[in-house]
Amino acid sequence: MRTGEVTIYIGGVYASGQPMVVKTLLGSCIAVCLHDAVRGVGGMNHFMLPGGNGDGDDAGRFGVHAMDLLIGAIMKAGGDRRRLIAKVFGGANVLDVQGPVVDVPRQNVEFIRTFLKEEEIPVVSADVGGRYARHVHFHTQDGRAFVKRVRRVHAVRAEEQARAAPAVKYGEITLFE
Amino acid sequence: MPATILVVEDSKTVRALIRAALLADDYRVVEAPGAREALTALEDTPVDLVITDVNMPDIDGLTFTRTLRARSRERSTPILVLTTEDGEAMKQRGREAGATGWLVKPFRPDQLRDTVRRVLGARA
Repeated sequence: MRTGEVTIYIGGVYASGQPMVVKTLLGSCIAVCLHDAVRGVGGMNHFMLPGGNGDGDDAGRFGVHAMDLLIGAIMKAGGDRRRLIAKVFGGANVLDVQGPVVDVPRQNVEFIRTFLKEEEIPVVSADVGGRYARHVHFHTQDGRAFVKRVRRVHAVRAEEQARAAPAVKYGEITLFE
Repeated sequence: MPATILVVEDSKTVRALIRAALLADDYRVVEAPGAREALTALEDTPVDLVITDVNMPDIDGLTFTRTLRARSRERSTPILVLTTEDGEAMKQRGREAGATGWLVKPFRPDQLRDTVRRVLGARA
């Protein structure tokens, strides 16, 4: 059977219990791949914390949400969060000079490391930081991930920003009769 | 006496966000990482309101809601489902299971508190 493919962009989440290849292209953003080897269920998200506006609480909240969506999607596809392992990619630095600016890529990487530690999800591999964009291919069934570093990080980052949602959106509240 | 709220959520990080939001209004918060632990906690502690996730290991939040509705003590306890599930079909399943309300993540702490206040107030 031919393995299906799906490409995700910033804000995207995909998980499947079928053999699929999830692809994404990362600049400063982070992609986390989670895999349950027993069930052969895997998934990936692609997100960026909205850093730099001074509201650290909100930034954390939306990073947690990106992970919550991915873990939820994996569980719906038949995975068990207690067996998950993680692979983490992205967080490229695009600034040529290190100055007193908010280092959003580093904040993203630190956020995800702290989150995964708190949730007791082991990180089995990571390729983060640096000054290159990354193509990531993740195989949902066996959990293999392939990373290809590409040089045009500024172009990739511009694309990420162009696709980013203009504002973070909170969920709806419904009270039943 | 402050109202007691049971929070059932498998993510430790999300539990901490919910707890922080509720403690700002001085509620007493009891936490459980899953439905099984929640049922154990309910044996010792009667609660005024339950907030539950949907996608959790072992017992999902809708099954948990139905379980509570079948018990005499929690038959009419308000149950707010707090979930990433934003589809209409799931929301209807929540309603049929006996949920009082359906809150889609991510949540705003003040809106969560408003909703809790409203639901507890309607009951008092």
